[in-house]
Amino acid sequence: MRRAFIVPLAGVAAIAATSPATAETTARDWLERMTRSLASLHYDGLFIHTAGSQSESMRIVHRTVDGRSVERLVSLDRSGREIVRTPEEVHFYLPDRRVVLVEPRSDDGSLLKALPAPGPQLDALYTLETSPGHRLLRRDVQIVDIRPRDGYRYGYRLWLDADTAMPLRSDVLDAEARTVESIQFTKLEIGEDVSARELEPGVDATGYQWLRPRPEAERRVRQAGWLPRKMPPGFRLVAFRSHSLPGLPMRTQHLIFSDGFASVSVFIEPAAGKGPVPPESTSVGSANAFSTQVNGQVVTAVGEVPPATVREIATSLAPVEPPESVGGP
Amino acid sequence: MTDQIREQISALLDGELAAGETGLLVRRMERDTELRRVFASYVIAGESLRSPGGVVASRDFAARVSAALAEGGVAMPVPAPERVAGMPQKWRRPLAGAAVAAGAALAAVLLVQPDAGRERFAGGRAAPPVVPAAAMMPVGGASPTLAQNQRLAGYLVAHGQYATPIGRRVAWSNALATDPGIARMPPEVAGQR
Repeated sequence: MRRAFIVPLAGVAAIAATSPATAETTARDWLERMTRSLASLHYDGLFIHTAGSQSESMRIVHRTVDGRSVERLVSLDRSGREIVRTPEEVHFYLPDRRVVLVEPRSDDGSLLKALPAPGPQLDALYTLETSPGHRLLRRDVQIVDIRPRDGYRYGYRLWLDADTAMPLRSDVLDAEARTVESIQFTKLEIGEDVSARELEPGVDATGYQWLRPRPEAERRVRQAGWLPRKMPPGFRLVAFRSHSLPGLPMRTQHLIFSDGFASVSVFIEPAAGKGPVPPESTSVGSANAFSTQVNGQVVTAVGEVPPATVREIATSLAPVEPPESVGGP
Repeated sequence: MTDQIREQISALLDGELAAGETGLLVRRMERDTELRRVFASYVIAGESLRSPGGVVASRDFAARVSAALAEGGVAMPVPAPERVAGMPQKWRRPLAGAAVAAGAALAAVLLVQPDAGRERFAGGRAAPPVVPAAAMMPVGGASPTLAQNQRLAGYLVAHGQYATPIGRRVAWSNALATDPGIARMPPEVAGQR
């Protein structure tokens, strides 16, 4: 469970994250330290996000409040968009549309059964290696390579700060080890002096339309209403929920699949128009989406995985009759 | 090549070189072939050479460099007005430096070998080809935008909540990225691996 993973570790995370690595530190140790550091340390950084031919400068500010992550991710270039993760909600500011999408935080939800985490099962799906790296941002670096054993997931090359295991650069790689997406920090401050004020949104959202999920659409479910007939190797259903997405009138079923490192979300909504809609694929950076229509529902799989993976997951889903509900309207 | 120049290059790449010095350095690179080669080696032959993916050169970087060279050597991204107002003073100069560093990095690549993107480095090692985001055929001849596709943005934000921290950063960075990064492709192309 996500909360069970993050919260108990939060108290020791600062110590663990800053403990010096030993010679025996494995790639999985590094990944676990990185995960703890990302969730527990206070940091403020600038990075270049590159996907295909597009590059943007972005800033991330992260702190913990009562053991919970709060963060702000901002596009410093043209769009001015930002995402602010408060203790209770996630706010996605879209200045170009004068809209704020609001999502409740999901990591306290009892519906979340498992957190994608770098566990032992990763060895069956990925090869993990470490190698020394040269300095980045005047910090010693440890390189961790995560190479997929098949074409259903992307690989990663991570340049981790040797002291804190914070990723100073991360590349998402396809099966031919070509860079699909890259995040490279140009500045990173870590420590208690990262001000909470920097978590305030820079966008003046006065007059913006705040789009929230319909509370009556949130429904506790004991069993996913849809299940896959066949899944790519290693992926399993780790969570599901029934709710509405901000700005959308209909209830959405949200299924989350994970292989322990990569995750894929599937959104299932009633089809809006008349007649079937042809299947469609969309790509933004390393994120791929595939939509298809099944039984009058639009099934969309989204994740940082190759196009074929989201396609296979989306097309394998079928409704389970009847979907079981335990409460809510 | 003096140590001072090398330190300036290092500072530039760290985003810590003063704007005035940055402009001078970029101008000097314009004239000095050797300096361009050294700079390119710093940028590319370091960590990037060890990266399976190498450096991704972009038109956006090229535009920044063009602006730098045209306007006196100092390029800055053009943030939205509210971003300028909301940005702490301490970030402004490093941001400028970072932008120049990124832009100047491409300048070095372009100037060392105009056929960049398939850069071949000393030692005969070739950088793997860059995967273009829009390698697929757009459906209907036009790529949708995130602004047009609020639903996809909502999906990415919701999805990011269930990803690992590194996965969330990737998902949300893509949600924030500007619109032309989205490409749609026909399903038969999506099925290819």
